[in-house]
Amino acid sequence: MKTEESETQAQYERPMSDAQGTAHGTNFLIRFDRVTKTYKDSSVALQGIDLSIADGEFISIVGPSGAGKSTLMKLIYAEEMPTEGEVWFNGRAISEISRGKLPLHRRYIGTVFQDSKLLNRKTVFENVAYALEVLGVPSEEIEEDVPQILEIVGMGHMMEKFPEQLSGGEKQKVAMARALIHKPIVIIADEPTGNLDPVSSLEIVDLLLKINELGTTVVLASHDKDIVNKAQKRVLVMDQGKIINDYSKGKYKLI
Amino acid sequence: MFLMISRTFREALKSLFRNGWLSVATVSILILSLYVVSVLYVVTHTTDKILKDIQNKITVSVYFKPDVAEADILAAKSDLEKNGQIASADYVSRDQALADFKRENADEPVILQSLDELGDNPLLASLVIKANNSDQYQAVSDYIKQTSYKDEISRINYDKGNIKDVISRLNSIDATTRRIGLVLSLILVVISILITFNTIMITIYAQRREIEIMRLVGASNTFIRLPFVFEGIIYGVIAALVSMLILFITLKFLTPYVSSVVSPKDTVDFYTSHFFQIFGLQLLIGIILGIISSLVAMRRYLKI
Repeated sequence: MKTEESETQAQYERPMSDAQGTAHGTNFLIRFDRVTKTYKDSSVALQGIDLSIADGEFISIVGPSGAGKSTLMKLIYAEEMPTEGEVWFNGRAISEISRGKLPLHRRYIGTVFQDSKLLNRKTVFENVAYALEVLGVPSEEIEEDVPQILEIVGMGHMMEKFPEQLSGGEKQKVAMARALIHKPIVIIADEPTGNLDPVSSLEIVDLLLKINELGTTVVLASHDKDIVNKAQKRVLVMDQGKIINDYSKGKYKLI
Repeated sequence: MFLMISRTFREALKSLFRNGWLSVATVSILILSLYVVSVLYVVTHTTDKILKDIQNKITVSVYFKPDVAEADILAAKSDLEKNGQIASADYVSRDQALADFKRENADEPVILQSLDELGDNPLLASLVIKANNSDQYQAVSDYIKQTSYKDEISRINYDKGNIKDVISRLNSIDATTRRIGLVLSLILVVISILITFNTIMITIYAQRREIEIMRLVGASNTFIRLPFVFEGIIYGVIAALVSMLILFITLKFLTPYVSSVVSPKDTVDFYTSHFFQIFGLQLLIGIILGIISSLVAMRRYLKI
């Protein structure tokens, strides 16, 4: 019970990329140190990955399905643990975080997926508010923050709509608002534009760029070369669990 | 902390209504098993009480030969009273035995008439012995047969077989009802654990999306678990309340039909006097069931 209480308290300290990030003498927010991930059926998802992502960076990960993009991202938000090697986050080895403290780790991270994972029985407002409710944020604060964030993603006028009344792009914007509502230091977007038309896709990328400008690190996985090239940021090319190329400016034309 | 409890409790209530049919099924099964367990509990207790009553009424009479003096019988009485296994030994003189007999058969003129025709008092003086425990009569009877006054005794009615049989039968009925009650209760409890477990698992499956989102935004494990634990508790409380009501109705209206064996007042009295005991037991079983099954289901089907 004691650990839970400290969790409840900790959730009011909004995550900030503070001194911890430089604790090991690096400016890296996320660092993969010779990481290999093998799944139970002994298929290798990642092989000896070395990767550093700086605080405030925008990084796109591209590659065909099965290249290991999703696994790499899952290792960041601790959905999976590496078989070998270590993932460092904010100056801390993720494998050393106890099970009970993993929720705290996840509060530093916002996630967006191909399927927006919205709750169909809740309105747009309630969907975003839910993310704060489960963190134990006081109701007054929720009333204040949620419209604000919905305004930022351009969904302020649709707060009372239900997900099924929204288009795919609008759903993703709401998902984005939900990922941002607890002020994470990293946004992990796994194929956020996978289901969208080109116009909506570009809107989502614009939104990610905007978030990045405000200081949030963005990790975007995609196999859509248009949106990656639009970003004009660092591009990581993966294939078969390995990093093939690491361009500092987006010029991804392969595959 | 309070915020967390009120929010998770609300979630639990919501899920309870959203799963309407499933909830009704689970609660019904819980009610049924709690009900049967409590009926068994009441039945074992009442049989126990009835048997105790009967056992208390059992006495063994030691009849003395007609020519034994009253002083000798009183000497025997005081000797018996010293025996640790004997609770009491009451002297019934020949005259008193006759008076008792006449009273008992007051409405049987034929018997009274034949007694009158006999002229003499045919009844024997006796000591009515009550043992501390019904299974001690054999020992008491054996003891009497090796005392110094054994020759003054005409007979001990224990030896006639009847009483011996009745006593040993009562003792075994007592043990059997207890054993059957225990085994049946255990089986029912196991069944309800499995069913509650199953329902909560289905509820968890139905809400896997919510749970996934909670995990992704970093809700604490307690926050994710609590709604399901509350749901289990609510099931338990509702089931306990309803089965308590049904139990009362059963006892109130059904026991008169078996009044030849059980006095209805006995069982209803038992219900009222043990209300909190039975209700507490039901609540406890219900709540523990709810909590354990939700925790186990969460651990098995979620990565938390």
